Amino acid sequence: MRISHENPSVGGVARVSGATLTRAAPPSVVRVDHLVKRYGATTAVADLSFSVRPGEIFGLLGPNGAGKTSTIEIIEGIRTPDSGTVEVFGLDIQRQRRAIQGRVGVQLQSTTLFPELTVQETLGLFGSFYPHARPVRELLREVALEEKAHAFPQDLSGGQRQRLALALALVNEPELVILDEPTTGLDPQSRRALWDIIQQLRQRGVAIILTTHFMDEAQILCDRIAIVDHGQIIAEDTPAGLIALLGASAAIAFQVVVPTGATAPDLAMVRQLPGVEDARAGLDQLILYTRQTEPTLIALLHLAEHAGVTLEHLQLHTPTLEDVFIKLTGRQLRS
Amino acid sequence: MRTYLRLTSSMIQMLRRNVALVLSSLGLGIVSILAFGLLFGNGGNVTPQLGVVDEDQTPLTTQMIQSLAHSTTVHISIGSRATEIDALRGAHLNAVIIMPAGFTAALMGGNAQMPVYYDQSNPTSWLIAQVTVQQVVQQLSGVHLPITLQTQAISVHNLRTIDFLTPGMIGMMLMWANLGIGTILVSWRQVGIMRRLAATPLRPGILIAAQMSARLLLSLIQAAMLLVIAMTVFKVPVYGNLGLLAGVVTLGTLTMLAIGFIIGGLTAKPEVANAITFLISFPMMFLGGSYFSVDNAPAFMRPVTQFLPLTHLNDALRQIINNGASFAAIQNDVFVLIAWIVLGSLVATRAFRWV
Ligand SMILES: Nc1ncnc2c1ncn2[C@@H]1O[C@H](COP(=O)(O)OP(=O)(O)OP(=O)(O)O)[C@@H](O)[C@H]1O
Ligand SMILES: [Mg+2]
Repeated sequence: MRISHENPSVGGVARVSGATLTRAAPPSVVRVDHLVKRYGATTAVADLSFSVRPGEIFGLLGPNGAGKTSTIEIIEGIRTPDSGTVEVFGLDIQRQRRAIQGRVGVQLQSTTLFPELTVQETLGLFGSFYPHARPVRELLREVALEEKAHAFPQDLSGGQRQRLALALALVNEPELVILDEPTTGLDPQSRRALWDIIQQLRQRGVAIILTTHFMDEAQILCDRIAIVDHGQIIAEDTPAGLIALLGASAAIAFQVVVPTGATAPDLAMVRQLPGVEDARAGLDQLILYTRQTEPTLIALLHLAEHAGVTLEHLQLHTPTLEDVFIKLTGRQLRS
Repeated sequence: MRTYLRLTSSMIQMLRRNVALVLSSLGLGIVSILAFGLLFGNGGNVTPQLGVVDEDQTPLTTQMIQSLAHSTTVHISIGSRATEIDALRGAHLNAVIIMPAGFTAALMGGNAQMPVYYDQSNPTSWLIAQVTVQQVVQQLSGVHLPITLQTQAISVHNLRTIDFLTPGMIGMMLMWANLGIGTILVSWRQVGIMRRLAATPLRPGILIAAQMSARLLLSLIQAAMLLVIAMTVFKVPVYGNLGLLAGVVTLGTLTMLAIGFIIGGLTAKPEVANAITFLISFPMMFLGGSYFSVDNAPAFMRPVTQFLPLTHLNDALRQIINNGASFAAIQNDVFVLIAWIVLGSLVATRAFRWV
């Protein structure tokens, strides 16, 4: 399903624009250069390069197993790469790990803490690992865990545990915050609260790297996004820039109900409709990406009438990051 | 330093909340003491083996040897100086006493010298020998014979099984409680606690030091509790200096912790770490002389028992508790334990892995 011949040009365009911007901007907070990480026969990260600028929110998107966590954990100094280099604040992560770690805040994809220490004690303990630590009360307030100060981690709900993990990432007033799926398992309020925290951090000049499987979140939060698949960056740009790659001004989604005796129009047929840039089959629906909404819609309705099928749940929306993502990675993200 | 103190207090807090762990290791020691205490009570004795050499061959010496042969507190073997000393070297005897030619005459003259040979290289055997010879001399002196031992005078303690066992149980408890740190380390790694710590600038050495300090505090308390139970319930006398005793408990604890950290660094699964810990501690419990003296072990076992840190820990504890030994008397054991700590910690730091 994947339109592979388009990928190189997509990646190429994005990198060129990225490089132009880098020259004007101050030096990068993070520079990842030709990174490779293998686990036995699996190559999790295959020659991956990108950089993160001061005060920007950089998103890593990609399907499960794309290599996001592997990449991030190398930047965090937890895993060692097989080849390639990572510089944070201009320091080499392999040689000056601790100096870097003192200035970085980290939320792992899943965080396990000492079961015998309370929330408050855990925050205090982690604070002692750094030269400067924020007051525990303040951190608790920031992630709305004041009531749970004396609870043990295993007695927290999943979302509360996520928030504790976030508080741990903020304990040392970091200059760079790396969050691996920080909003997974959060309720809508907590999610929005986290977005606020992230945006406040950016206002203070903190650079942020985050991964997420929520496309709306990435679109709202991220200044730049790299889409990763099979350990490689297949596109890198601003959310708007990525969406522009689709070359479509609208997405038309619908379900086809086929009465007995009638035959459903296939993907090839709808691709021929006027204005259609691309078409793909979703879980139980078809999606058309079009440059000219009206002619496409009219032709679509004619086609349906002619074939004797009905269209249900017909929806029209402006293309989103999710559409780009599905187009580039060729699969539904959370299926 | 701030990190170390904070981490140590957190570790102590964690131990305090982990009641099961504290109770199980202390429980093993107490249960053993209670079981052996009830089994043997005040009656059971370690029967020492004493070599007797009669070079005087007078009716008096013959009579003395006969009275010794009937004694229930000591087993004797009679032979020439050469054969008996050989037997001592082969660890079949705890001591050899000699009645040299002219012994009877000297006795009549009011001051007889009696040379005594101990196996100095084996502290446990030496301890038993010292006590035994004193007992024997006391028996002989029952008829008011003026005998002087040609070794320094020592206080005479009647060593019961329970007295002998108490230091061994302390040693065993220190081993079980502290080798287990390896399994804990591995399980922290497996569940991902170590991964989160690895993302901070915390140094492995500080984590190890803090963990050791917390465990040391716990071990000192556990040893004290065990000792108090032994002293109060079973009236086990403690002759030595308590400060010296605490010092030896400290060395023993650190030795076991260092070995535990090595196990923790070299294994990936808690079950494996646990199995290795068991494989190490179970034989060591017996070969290290926790339950019975290993002095009579076959000669080829000597290098093994002498290698085991628990042997030296138990010996030092026995010397202090049962015999009131000074530092000088246990310095060999102390040096061996310190060597274990230094080398063990070096290896442990090298073997350490976050993830
Ligand atoms: N410790 C490991 N040992 C072996 N293989 C691993 C290990 N960690 C990750 N992998 C493999 O490397 C690949 C990339 O994994 P990674 O965790 O980086 O993906 P991801 O992009 O973070 O995925 P997700 O969105 O599911 O979190 C996967 O195929 C995974 O199975
Ligand atoms: Mg991941």
